[in-house]
Amino acid sequence: MSTMSAPLKLLELPLPVQPIAPSAANLRQALLTNREQTLTQLYQRTFPMVRRHVQRHGGSEQDAQDVFHDALVVFYEKTVRGTLHLTAAPSTYLVGVCRNLWQREVERRRRQPQTELTAEDAARVVAEADAPEPRESPPVLEFVERLGAKCRSVLLAFYYFQQPLEQIAAEHAYAGIRSATVQKFKCLERLRRAVRAAWFPNENR
Amino acid sequence: MRPELERLHRIEQYLLSTSAATDWQRQLRLDPTLADDAHEQLRLYQALHEAGRLQLRRELSRIHTRLYGPRRTGWFTAATAGLRTVLLRWPRFRSRS
Repeated sequence: MSTMSAPLKLLELPLPVQPIAPSAANLRQALLTNREQTLTQLYQRTFPMVRRHVQRHGGSEQDAQDVFHDALVVFYEKTVRGTLHLTAAPSTYLVGVCRNLWQREVERRRRQPQTELTAEDAARVVAEADAPEPRESPPVLEFVERLGAKCRSVLLAFYYFQQPLEQIAAEHAYAGIRSATVQKFKCLERLRRAVRAAWFPNENR
Repeated sequence: MRPELERLHRIEQYLLSTSAATDWQRQLRLDPTLADDAHEQLRLYQALHEAGRLQLRRELSRIHTRLYGPRRTGWFTAATAGLRTVLLRWPRFRSRS
């Protein structure tokens, strides 16, 4: 049995929000209340600059998109957790992050240039593909994807997108915070049961 | 809430560090299976975080396609598509295309 004496550090969970600069606070509010529109505006303002930079430095349109999405994911997570400290416009900040990410990617590619597939490599890949894979329990992520749409939406809204329970209640037609909280735990329980049933079929907990 | 849901709530409070460590220690002594359940719940949260990231990436891809995806056909081309299909059935027009 595992011991859990020390408190766990869970950066991914909705922690109490730290004080943040007004512009970051406004951005946080906008992302929480209207994610799609806010992200679209950020995208329109910023992506052309990122694409220009990446293409001028040896990358493709797809490279620019990949780098930009990586930066936006981190940007979103930091903003909604209140750990983003903006000293410039969000688009300037994002372009800076993308420049750094692309610089790192260029250096990584320089260190590990793509090599052509030799006949031996191809034979090894085929042999590996033919070998029977050890049967493992499916990862928990698969069970999240298999949850019903509403349960999945409630859990992601709370645990990842960090939306307040009032908003979750309104968007999912629950009577109020109390009802949304109960539904959230019911969905969490459903997820846990699905995982347990697949991982420990003989256990009856 | 049902006792099972209350238990999930209690574990969540611990994982979010909103309940005191001393109180958690007391609960662990009273309930020997609590530590395993907390560990399992932590894995669920990690998977939810991963799933959330995937969804955000899907949303970003949709935004990208909407803003910079292949251009939609213009209204004139779309409006006359049916007429072109009919005309192409006639040998006289087919030879020109």
